[in-house]
Amino acid sequence: MRRSIPLAICLIMGIVMMVQFFVPHPISVGFYDLTTKWIRIVSAFALVLGVGSLALYHLDRLQRRRAGWVYSIVTLVALVVTAVIGLVWGVKPGSPLQEVIFKNMLVPLNASMFAILAFYMASAAYRAFRARTKEAALLLIAAFIVMLGMVPVGAAIWGKLPEVAEWILSVPNMAAKRAIVFGVALGAIATSLKVILGIERGWLGGGK
Amino acid sequence: MNIWERLLKIDRKIIFVVMAVLVLFPLLKPLGLGVSSGPRAKAVFDAVDAIPPGKTLLISVDFDPASMPELYPMLVALMRHAFARDVKVLLCGLWITGAGLADKAVTEIPPEYGKEYGKDVVYLGWKAGVDAVILGMGENIKNVFPVDYYGHPLDSLPMMQEVVRLRDIPFMVAISAGTPGFGDWLLYGQSRYGLRVGAGVTAVSAADAYPYLQTGQLTGLLAGMKGAAEYEVLLTRKGYSKAYMPAVAAMDSQSLAHLVILILVVLGNVAFFATRMKRR
Amino acid sequence: MGNTLLLFAWLLSAVSPPTLFVQDTPNDAGKSITIRWQLAPEQSPDLVVLERSCERESTQIVATLGAGDNGYIDENVCDGVRYAYRLGAVFGTDTVWSESSGWVVSKPQWFNWGRVNILIAMILFFALVIYFIEHAKAGRHLFVRRIAGLDAVEEAVGRATEMGKPIVYVPGLGSVADIATIASLNILGEVAKKTAQYDSALLVPNRDPIVYTVAREVVKEAYTRAGRPDAFKPDNIFYVTSEQFAYAAAVDGLMVREKPATNFFLGTFWAESLILAETGATTGAIQIAGTDSVFQLPFFITACDYTLIGEELYAASAYLSREPLLLGSLKGQDMGKLVILLVIVLGSALVLLSALPGLKFFQAVSNFFNVSGINLIGTGLPLG
Repeated sequence: MRRSIPLAICLIMGIVMMVQFFVPHPISVGFYDLTTKWIRIVSAFALVLGVGSLALYHLDRLQRRRAGWVYSIVTLVALVVTAVIGLVWGVKPGSPLQEVIFKNMLVPLNASMFAILAFYMASAAYRAFRARTKEAALLLIAAFIVMLGMVPVGAAIWGKLPEVAEWILSVPNMAAKRAIVFGVALGAIATSLKVILGIERGWLGGGK
Repeated sequence: MNIWERLLKIDRKIIFVVMAVLVLFPLLKPLGLGVSSGPRAKAVFDAVDAIPPGKTLLISVDFDPASMPELYPMLVALMRHAFARDVKVLLCGLWITGAGLADKAVTEIPPEYGKEYGKDVVYLGWKAGVDAVILGMGENIKNVFPVDYYGHPLDSLPMMQEVVRLRDIPFMVAISAGTPGFGDWLLYGQSRYGLRVGAGVTAVSAADAYPYLQTGQLTGLLAGMKGAAEYEVLLTRKGYSKAYMPAVAAMDSQSLAHLVILILVVLGNVAFFATRMKRR
Repeated sequence: MGNTLLLFAWLLSAVSPPTLFVQDTPNDAGKSITIRWQLAPEQSPDLVVLERSCERESTQIVATLGAGDNGYIDENVCDGVRYAYRLGAVFGTDTVWSESSGWVVSKPQWFNWGRVNILIAMILFFALVIYFIEHAKAGRHLFVRRIAGLDAVEEAVGRATEMGKPIVYVPGLGSVADIATIASLNILGEVAKKTAQYDSALLVPNRDPIVYTVAREVVKEAYTRAGRPDAFKPDNIFYVTSEQFAYAAAVDGLMVREKPATNFFLGTFWAESLILAETGATTGAIQIAGTDSVFQLPFFITACDYTLIGEELYAASAYLSREPLLLGSLKGQDMGKLVILLVIVLGSALVLLSALPGLKFFQAVSNFFNVSGINLIGTGLPLG
């Protein structure tokens, strides 16, 4: 029963939504809109569960004084303060949530994390781009040409380099990308079919 | 440990310090390595340049703070270009995280050209439902955005008396860091309402846009920070802007960063082969 | 199929009449009428206006369009009500009107004929998958090539046990609606079964609250099936945050503090992929990654020991469990790829042939493969 009901819901809704894709009638469109609204409502409730899990996890770390418990205080305080500010002063432009928390904290923090990528790319490239095999050598040469072609220095070295770099990106790279996308799309369809038919049950918690 | 073995195992921290110095230095003291404009950026530039004064450029702000360094300079450059030619600017967005960034641009850029909010620039804000938003704007913008981002009814804004639907807009640029983005504007805006679309994207997703360029669906492409820098250079050459060019300044850093990575890769490979030969 | 009327009559002297096609918009939800027209080549009005009359309302202008436009979709109509249109060509201050079209009624359709090509492809693919599932049920052996990343799972879990260090499993940043996340959760079940057997710690930080609840149940069930329900620690599976880079920072911190022996990055990833993988590499962990995000694959390939590329992620549950039903569907998937290869060759040939003069038939055949919202084939309206 515990597994049969979710499997039945999955089967019925899977088939209904597949049929819905081909039916343009307003009844079908209305059903689609209703389903997406339900998904948003369920997601909102799941957020409550998630926040509860976060709070319990950090409270437990705090109580047991696990390594790094001080940062759990930071997390919990940030959670409460953000929620209170948003509830009391609102979320419109000009509110403290937008001006202080979003613009002056979230934006710089996000940008900083993104900026770390530059350093990690350098260290990853240094570590991994070794011409151990013919294929690796080919990858290395292509990476060279594309990296040089994307900056003004490359154009200064050879005027045609940016064009060659763009050709590498738009022809062989694009071909490989599309091939992967085909495989991924088919894999996704097959996995969806398996989930709808109940062949794949790992998402339910495993078992037969 | 000989020199080749040392080169094979350079400590990460040294790599990070070198990168940090070489990225920071040009930002403080520009090297002036120069940026030449490519045909794709020029196509966007020419399309905006061809908009008659008094008409409207639509910009869709579909990115978040994480992609701000690459895409925000494009937004600023496009707005400066439009204002310099007395073209009005209408902004909207399909990403909620772009709202604050569009607001920042709308607050900072129009005063440079003496432009007024409501008369020369309007920011509609963000709305959920990608296809419904674009299709709705195709029929009547006020149906989708009865008020703008700041709560002003669209009927009260002088600019919006002339811009009623997508057909009233000669050209738009979708600045997008992913989906939803320019693809949706092409799918719903162009195919249905004949909207001319240019795109500004992050460097990593530029390859996705090439097929649309090849078919002529996209009128030009600004790819990554380089694309933004190319646009800024064109603006300055034509005398539309004398402002600080953040993307051009950052290109010096990007050039040096690329060179550092290339040198490190070469060193690593030289050390790798030298060590291998020594072992034989 | 709706009403198709051909309208002749134009009032300018020595000018051929335009043709006006008015029809209920096909393949839609109703409340829409499509009007197309062809002006005579010698006509070049300043603009055209479209007028609508209806039995319920007074006549009104519904659209003012450029001279270059040749079509309009009127979506301000009611189903079941009769409408008629006429076109006015504006020359300066004069407007020359065409004759009125006949009555047209808008109604919703029950089937989108523009998507029949997708339906055929879907049925074909499903048939292939189901055929091979039945084939596998009959006990036939199905060959699946070696996937190094999946062979390494057992070794990776064993390594963690020997070193006495935990395993970090990141199920990606996607929601449970993403197929890659579902595939990742299937693999999590297999990994959890092994960690239960080997008595290793398994840490699963989650970005999505629903994925967190599902992951917890998956791990709990896996431990129960392995006969070790006592070893299951619910605190090890937790929700972190929905913010992308905050999540990456939290997982990085977890990896630096806990120094896991093995990291799994399986699911949907975006720009934070290299941040996660490179931080994991600095801790000396063995890393197995897999994603359907083509932009992130190069980062994982560079920084991880094993990478499942694209559909290898979806093949993982079949590969690890070796269940005949799952293997059969994998085979069906592969056959689907073969069909796509053949269609690509066929499509390229069709496009080539259709470019040759006198072979327009092939244009119609290749149009059949177009995926568009409104397919005008069979509607009588001019294409393009």
